[in-house]
Amino acid sequence: MLLAVFNILIFPGFLFLGVMALIFAFLDRKIYARLQNRIGPPWFQPLADFLKLLGKESIIPAEADKRIFPLLPVVTLAAVTAAYLYIPIWGPASLFPFEGDLIVILYLLTLPTLCFFLAGWYSTSVYATIGAVRTLTQLFSYEVPLFMALLAPALLADTWSLSGMTAFYAANPVLLLVNIPAFLVAIAACQGKLERVPFDLPEAETEIVAGTFVEYSGRLYAIFRMAIDCELVVVASLIAAVFLPFYTEPVWLGFALYLLKTLVILFILALFRSVMARIRLEQMVKFCWKYLTPVALLQIVINLLLKGVLS
Amino acid sequence: MAEQKTTQEIEQKISEQLAAEQEPMVSGEDLSRERAAIAPFFEPFPILEGKLKIQRQQRIFCDPLPRKQFEQVFAFAHQQAGFTTFHIVIGVDGGDDLIFVYILSNADKIVLLLKQSVPKSKPVISSVCGVFPNALWHERELVDLFGAVVEDLPPGPSYPLPDGWPAGNYPLRKEWKVEYFDKVNMTYDPPQREEGANE
Amino acid sequence: MSKNITIPIGPQHPSLKEPACFTITLEGEKVVKAVVGVGYNHRGLEKACESRSYIQDLYIIERVCGICSHTHSTAFCQGVEELAGVTIPRRAAYIRVIMAELERLHSHLLWLGVAGHEIGFDTLLMYSWRDRELVLDVLAMLGGNRVNYGINTIGGVRRDIDPGMIEQITRMLDIIEEQNKYYIQLALSETTLAARLAGVGKLSHEDALRLGAVGPVSRASNISDDVRAIDRYAAYDEIPVRVVTDDHCDVFGRAVVRVLEIMESINMLRFAVANLPDGELTVKVPRNIPAGEALSRTEAPRGEDIHFIRANGTANPDRVRVRAPSEANWHSMAHMLEGDYLADVPIIIAAIDPCYSCTDRAIVVDQRDSGLVKTFDWQGMRDYSINWYKSQGFDASKIKIAERKLYF
Repeated sequence: MLLAVFNILIFPGFLFLGVMALIFAFLDRKIYARLQNRIGPPWFQPLADFLKLLGKESIIPAEADKRIFPLLPVVTLAAVTAAYLYIPIWGPASLFPFEGDLIVILYLLTLPTLCFFLAGWYSTSVYATIGAVRTLTQLFSYEVPLFMALLAPALLADTWSLSGMTAFYAANPVLLLVNIPAFLVAIAACQGKLERVPFDLPEAETEIVAGTFVEYSGRLYAIFRMAIDCELVVVASLIAAVFLPFYTEPVWLGFALYLLKTLVILFILALFRSVMARIRLEQMVKFCWKYLTPVALLQIVINLLLKGVLS
Repeated sequence: MAEQKTTQEIEQKISEQLAAEQEPMVSGEDLSRERAAIAPFFEPFPILEGKLKIQRQQRIFCDPLPRKQFEQVFAFAHQQAGFTTFHIVIGVDGGDDLIFVYILSNADKIVLLLKQSVPKSKPVISSVCGVFPNALWHERELVDLFGAVVEDLPPGPSYPLPDGWPAGNYPLRKEWKVEYFDKVNMTYDPPQREEGANE
Repeated sequence: MSKNITIPIGPQHPSLKEPACFTITLEGEKVVKAVVGVGYNHRGLEKACESRSYIQDLYIIERVCGICSHTHSTAFCQGVEELAGVTIPRRAAYIRVIMAELERLHSHLLWLGVAGHEIGFDTLLMYSWRDRELVLDVLAMLGGNRVNYGINTIGGVRRDIDPGMIEQITRMLDIIEEQNKYYIQLALSETTLAARLAGVGKLSHEDALRLGAVGPVSRASNISDDVRAIDRYAAYDEIPVRVVTDDHCDVFGRAVVRVLEIMESINMLRFAVANLPDGELTVKVPRNIPAGEALSRTEAPRGEDIHFIRANGTANPDRVRVRAPSEANWHSMAHMLEGDYLADVPIIIAAIDPCYSCTDRAIVVDQRDSGLVKTFDWQGMRDYSINWYKSQGFDASKIKIAERKLYF
């Protein structure tokens, strides 16, 4: 019981994820700045931002729903933290592995997006409403390719659990190369999930101010930002766990390998962010359904055929 | 996306444009184009003789005309004399009259300044927005700053004075002095003595 | 969504650098109606000019706009010189052109960055503004200031250009040219950039003529209306001017026109510094300007800038009217916005390179007698800020400022 509480609150749960999120946010901003020929923020900048926001007054608009409005940031953070508990970090398995944890993680990761939508919708301001509608439209376009890309390797491994997949690919490392198209699709689609450039339409600053988050302030906004930073860590870890399922003994070396894998993915994401312009909603829908979804489908077909050949 | 050209086409077009030689320049004192531009005015409007002056190359100034005459000359200028580009309308306080300067130019880029003068007590002019939509904001400005009454002006917000500006105050008229204006309370109180002197 | 949403963009909005209000009616993501509201920045400049002498007015006029201050003061000086019947020395005319083209360089680079920011491409913003710093450094060297150079005076210019400065200018031009070639390549071939810019904010050739668009907006609609080529003011009668036009009629065309104009400006600057004639900088202009009217036009970075000056024989003008280029481009704005997506609204607004204070012109806040005005030198200002932060409980005196120098 005590160990479970420790796991949820300290490691690898809430506190550890929070620290990771701040480090990742710093690295993301620093890489972005260096690619843009800027100096970038000092290492404590995300923490300073977070603390400063915590100290500010939270304003709930008079028109907003008084009960749901303050609840949404907390639900978002809880969903993201819960998803993190099921991702293997230092070894072949997560803390609480079970058959089907991959599906659970994917659904827990859908919750934040729904919360963003509800946050925008219940704020009732026009910018927030437009941001909410954009969040949902975007969800319908990237979610399908993202799910298919992440489930394709699981199909090949014939298991719905991350630890099972790790064991399978440890036995057949060559088969990882088959999943490269799915990896590319997942990298592209997860930028929609994380609402980063080029898919940051729901909070496009120059168009709709801050979109869904326009009415949030102070502590509530700090929690939202924290949840978004955590989501970056969780998604990077998930992609690393699905597509790069390597692990080593002892535990500390395995942990270092985990950091390395996620940082590589973070670097790819930061690179995308700095070389692209924000695209329009209709361009995004077109891109996801015309290019990402067919590639993801093709991957599933290949994996199914391959599975038939292998067995 | 269908109408977007390929990169090569654009580059080729641009390099062609850049390679094209510039137009031959007209020498400094040659006013023949300006004379040709104003020549058509004198036949239908003999009254313009002596009023339509070439100040320098590309600048033709016309003395102020009363409203009715101005409207005929203005219509002729843009319909038949080729002055089809409208730049701006400028209000000027000419003492007892308000003078409105309409700036037009033609294909040779010769600028024509046509003026109409209306009495300050009854400054009624007609809108030219029907012909030149870009006159809209300039005409609204005349309404706010000079107190002109522009007939047929499309409805819309006033420009550029702020909300709450006291009615009947036209800042660009000469008798309006900025010293008597209270910016905080938006009131205009000239001293009584001077008001009496004006009457 | 069947219901239309009306959203205000402005007067305060992240995509607007200065106040203006665009009331956008949306059907889903499509703009069905756009209403433009300006006037938030009207500062009553023209009234202020009427009660001051010509030379005082020059300094007000220079502050009409922060970005294109030189072009406004050039237009004003030209008008007054025409009324006074004087011709400025050739060297002064060349120096005016050099300043004007440097200003165009920095303004177009600024626009490129803003355009990148509006479409969420911040890397372009950072790069082009980094290069713009070089131009600003040169402007500061020539005029003593980064934005309001104070080079013009009625009858000539106030500062000379020496060979050392010419060398700095040439070195800066080499760097900018190299960078700009990269931007041209980027503008013409980068796919996400082209996808965001092409076909957006359409303004056909006929509409541009009808609505009186000026500057890069009209040149992108294939209208050759560069005042430098048609009015040939200052030294443009000797310097070769090639007008850049494009027939895309959209935001992409406007971007192409601007990056190519940077190239043209570099060529003109090279020509001007190589052929800078010797001679005086100013001629004497009488204090009282004879009665008359003058219409003076210059090509600002954003388009045609018109100044109308009416003199009455005294030391003060009777009427000054400034028609800045942005003021002419507002008319086509609503037309360009309608039918496009909400996502494109910021870039369409940015594509005319709007300058709101140019549109509305200046007011002078006179606080001379109130005792509120203090003048600081650089060190004095730093000391003041350190003391102020100390009173807020933060000691900033240990922070060192790097010596600012030209870094090329």
